[in-house]
Amino acid sequence: MTRFKFAPCAIASAAFAMLTPGLRAARPQYGGTLVVQSEAVVRSVEPTIVDGDSDSAQARMSALLFEPLVAIDGLGGLRPALATAWERDARFVRWRFQLRTPVMLHDRTSLDAARVAAALAARERAWRVVSDGDSVIVDLDRPNAELPWVLADGTHGIAIRAEGGALVGSGPFRLDRFDASRVLLRAHDDYWGGRAFVDAVQIEQGRQARAAVASIEAGRADFAAVSPTDVRRLADRGLRTVSSRPMASYVLIFEPHRAQSADDEFRAAVAAAVDGATLSSVWLQRQAEPADGLLPAWISGYAPLLRREQPRVAAVSTTVRRSLIVRIDTADALAKTIADRLVADGRERRLDIAVQTPNGLAPRPDARLVRVPVHATTPGRALALAMQTLGGRAVGLLTNDAPPPIDAPLDSVLRLERTLLQYNVIIPVVHVDDVYGLGDRVESWNEAPVSPSGGWNIASLWLRGERPSPR
Amino acid sequence: MSLRAKLFLLVGGVATVTIVGATWVVSSIARRSFAALDAQRTATLAVQVRREFDREGIQIADRIARIAASDAVARIAAGAERSHGDLARYVNEAPPLAAAHGLDLLEFVAADGVIVSSAHWPARFGYREAWIDSVPRDRAFMHAVELPQERSLALIAVAGVPAAPRGLVVVGGRRIDAGFLRLLPLPAGMRLLLYRNVDPEIARQDLVDASGVTPPAAPLEPLIARVRDTRREVTETIDWPDGPETLAAAPLETPRGDVIAVMLVGSSGRELVALLSRIRWTGVAAGALAIVAAFALSYVAASTVTRPVEELARGARAVAAGDWNVSVDAADATGEVADLARAFETMTAQLVDQRERLVQAERVAAWRELARRLAHELKNPLFPLRLTVDNLRRAKTLSTVEFDEMFDESLGTLSQGLTNLTNVVGRFNDFSKMPPPLVERVAINELIERTLGLFRAQIEAGDRPRIEVALALDPSTPVVSVDPEQFGRALQNLIVNAIDAMPAGGRLTLRTASVAAHVRIDVSDTGEGLTDEERTRLFTPYYTSKPHGTGLGLAIVQAVVADHHGRITVESVRGRGTTFVIELAPAPESS
Repeated sequence: MTRFKFAPCAIASAAFAMLTPGLRAARPQYGGTLVVQSEAVVRSVEPTIVDGDSDSAQARMSALLFEPLVAIDGLGGLRPALATAWERDARFVRWRFQLRTPVMLHDRTSLDAARVAAALAARERAWRVVSDGDSVIVDLDRPNAELPWVLADGTHGIAIRAEGGALVGSGPFRLDRFDASRVLLRAHDDYWGGRAFVDAVQIEQGRQARAAVASIEAGRADFAAVSPTDVRRLADRGLRTVSSRPMASYVLIFEPHRAQSADDEFRAAVAAAVDGATLSSVWLQRQAEPADGLLPAWISGYAPLLRREQPRVAAVSTTVRRSLIVRIDTADALAKTIADRLVADGRERRLDIAVQTPNGLAPRPDARLVRVPVHATTPGRALALAMQTLGGRAVGLLTNDAPPPIDAPLDSVLRLERTLLQYNVIIPVVHVDDVYGLGDRVESWNEAPVSPSGGWNIASLWLRGERPSPR
Repeated sequence: MSLRAKLFLLVGGVATVTIVGATWVVSSIARRSFAALDAQRTATLAVQVRREFDREGIQIADRIARIAASDAVARIAAGAERSHGDLARYVNEAPPLAAAHGLDLLEFVAADGVIVSSAHWPARFGYREAWIDSVPRDRAFMHAVELPQERSLALIAVAGVPAAPRGLVVVGGRRIDAGFLRLLPLPAGMRLLLYRNVDPEIARQDLVDASGVTPPAAPLEPLIARVRDTRREVTETIDWPDGPETLAAAPLETPRGDVIAVMLVGSSGRELVALLSRIRWTGVAAGALAIVAAFALSYVAASTVTRPVEELARGARAVAAGDWNVSVDAADATGEVADLARAFETMTAQLVDQRERLVQAERVAAWRELARRLAHELKNPLFPLRLTVDNLRRAKTLSTVEFDEMFDESLGTLSQGLTNLTNVVGRFNDFSKMPPPLVERVAINELIERTLGLFRAQIEAGDRPRIEVALALDPSTPVVSVDPEQFGRALQNLIVNAIDAMPAGGRLTLRTASVAAHVRIDVSDTGEGLTDEERTRLFTPYYTSKPHGTGLGLAIVQAVVADHHGRITVESVRGRGTTFVIELAPAPESS
C-alpha cells in the first residue's frame, strides 16, 4: 500500500505565494460577492451529469459544491480532499479511502462513510463500494492503478441526496440560486477547510471572452475567462491574469477526401508549415505551447517523443494540390486567431490556406481546426476523451477502430494517436492554457486562483475593501 | 402628275434633303468634336490620376516618416533594446497606429527584416520581409503586399526609426484597389480600372474597377498586354456593345522597373453615342416637323402658283370643248402667270373674233359652194330643157307629123328634165330638212345585216368586178338606241361609198365590237384610200370626189351620227383602203 504525502501540496502553495507577490500584498478580508463571468452555460451542477461542451465549466463549478475524495494540487499532483489517506492492494483492485472527520455538509448534517459509499456506488455502477467505519472501500471490476486520478477528475464529487431530495455537498460553497444566466453560491460557514473569504459567488453564464475582458477592465467582473491574446491588453492596464496548464488543444483534422494517401505529401507540408512555437510565444502571449500530440506534455509526458517522430519535409512537390480550406467554429474566436496564423504559415510555404467560417451552407472544407479540451487527469483517460471529442469519423480515417472507451489501456490509445499523427491526418497545432483575468480588487490567499488542471480556487480569493456581511 | 403635285414634291423633297443633310453634317461635326474632346478628357484624367498617385505617395511617405519619429515608435524601439530582441510583446502595436494615421498597411520590421508587428496581417509576425533592404526610403513606391486573402497592390513608403540603434523600420501605405479608385474624383462617363499584374498570364480576376466588380476583361487584354510588354502608356478605343470607349492605359512600376499594375482610364463614348443619337433624333423630329411644314407651305405655294395655271388649263379645256366665251379668273395671279392669263384672255378673244370671221367666210364659202352646186345641178337638167324648147321653136316649121313627133319627144325630154330638177331640189330639201331621229332599241348587228342585204344583188351582179363581203359582228355587242331608218340610211351611204371606192373589186368589211363602253361599227374597203385633202373635207356638204356625187352622202352620215350623240371618224391609208368608224353609246337598260 502507498500513502499520499502532504509535502508536494504544501510546497506548491508556498511556491505560488512566493511567485505571485501581487496576490499576497495584503491581509485577507472577509465579505463581498465575487462576480465570475463564464462563457459556458452550465445547466446542472450535479457532478455525475456530463453536459456536453460545458462539462469543463460544470466540473469546475461542481467542485465548489461537491468535493471529491482526492483532488489535484497546485503542481498537478494528488492531494487529499474528503479522503485524508488511501491505500490499495497489490492488484490495484481494492482501494480503501480514509475519510476526513468531521465534515459538515451544506445541510449541517455530518458526512459519514456510508453516505459517501452510497454516492460513489450511484456514480459508478460497476464498482462495489462499501463503508467500513470511517473508511470507504472500493472494489473495482478490473485493476486500475490510477483510481485516485479518476476520482479527482471533477465528475466524482461526493453529492449526498438529502431528505428533501436535494443534493448537498461538503464544498466551500453551497448552491443558493441557479438559473440559466446566473448562479449564486453562498459561503459554507461550516466548511472543514475554513469558511471562504467571500460571502457569495455570483456566476454570470454565457458571457463572451471579449466582453469579459471589458467587464474586468470596467470592474463589473472579478474573475473571468479571457482569451490568451488579451493577456497583453490586461497587463497594459495593470490587471492580472492567471492561467492553468494547457487545458485544451487545437488540432487540424483532415476530412476524408484529403486524408487519402495521394495527399500524404501535402499534409506533411502543412504539418511542417505549422509554426506552433511563434504562435504560442507571440500570438498567444505565451499562454500556450506548441503541440506535438493530442495531449499537452504536462499530462502525457511523451509529447517530446512524438516531436522527434515527425518526418522532415523539405519542400512540397509542384504536382500536389496546394490549396486547403480550413473550417473553424464561428463562435471560437481563438480558433480564428490560430487559423489566421496558419494562413500566414502556409503562405510562407507557398500553400494556399483559406479559412472558412460558415454561418450557413458552405463548400465542403478540406480540414477542420478543432478545439479538444483536456478533461481527465490521466493520459489514457484524457486521450480517450480527446478521441471521443474528435469523433469516430477522425479515428476511422486510418483505422477501422471505434474511438477507444474512456478506460481503454493507455498503450492502445497511444498507438492510435501515433497512427493518426504519423500520416498527418491529425496535425496538433497548440495546447492552450485556460486564462482568467482578475479584477482589480481580487486578492488570493495561499493558493493560485486557478489550479494547474484548471480548477477554480475561489475559496482562497478575497476582495479588497469588502466587509463581511452579518451572518 | 399635276403641276401642283410636282411643285409640292419638289419643295418637300428639297426641304427633306436639306434637313437630312444638315442633320448629318451636325452629327459628323459633333462626333468629331466630341471624339477630340473625349481624347483630351481622357488624357487630362490620366494626368490627374498620375498626380493623385504622386500626391498620395508624398502623403504616405510623410506619414510613415512621422510615425517613425513618433514617441510611440520610439517607445517600441526602446523596449526592444531593453528586451534584447524579444519583440513579441509589440505584436499588437501596429494596428492602432495604422488606424490612427489612416493607413491600410503598417508594419514594424526589425533590422533583419523580421516582422515585429503588422497591421494588415498581424498573424505574419516573425516572418521576414526580404525586400526591405532593396527599396528606396525617400519616396513612396508601388509594391505587392501579402495579405491574408491575396497579394494586393499598395503604394508604400519605408522609413527607418531614428531612435532604434539596432534598426527598426516602419513600412506602411495604402492599398491600391477598388477602394483607392473610389477616392479619385471622376467626371461622369469616365471610369478607372486597375489591373494587378501579379500573375504570369493575364488573369481576368486581377482586373477591378471602383465598384470592386471584375469588369469584362477580354477586350482589354490586348491593351493590357501591350502596356506590360512596352512599359509605356497606350491609348486605344475599344468598341463595346453599348458604345466605344477611349482607354488610356499606363504602367505602374516597382522601384526595380517591373510593371506591377496597369491603370486604365476609360472615357466612355456611350455619352457621345447617346448625344449623337439625341442629335439625330432631334434632327429627325425637327426634320419631320420641317418637312410637314415645308410640304404644307409648298402645298400653299403650289396652290397659289398653280391655281391661275389651273384656271388657264380649265379655260383652255373649255375653249377646246367649244366654249369660246370662257373667262379666266386670274385675279390672284402675278408676274408671268398674270401675263399668261392676260395672253389667254387675248387669245380667246382673238379666237372668237377669228371664229366669227371664219364662220362668216365659211358661210360665204358655203353659199358659194351651194350656189355653185345648185348652178351645176340645175344647169345640167336645164340645158336639155333649153335645147328641147329651142327644138320645139324650130319644130314649128316642121310638118305636123314631124312636129307632133318632135313635140312628143320634147315633152318627154322636158318631163324627164323637170323630174331631174325635182330630184335635185328634193335632195337639197332632204338635207336641209333632216328630221330629228326617232330612237328605239335596235340590235345593231341585225340592222347591219339587213342594210347589207339591200346591196347583195348589186354586189353579186356578174357585170362588175367581184367584191368580197366580210361580216365580223360581235354577238356581245349591246343594243343601241338609234332611229333605224336614219341610221340604216347612214349605213347605206357608207356601203355605197365603199362599193364606189372599189371599182376594180375588193373586200368590204363590216365589223362591230364593244370597246370601252362604246359600240364600234367599222365599214372598211380596200380601195385606193383618201388623200389628205379628201380626208380633211370628207364630211363637208357638197364636197365629192365622184363625178356624179352630190357631196351630201357623208355629210348626211355625219349629221345622223351626230344626232345619235355618236362620233364618226375615218382611217385611211393611201393605196390600202379606208375605214369609217362609228362609235355609239349603248342603249340604257330598258325599264
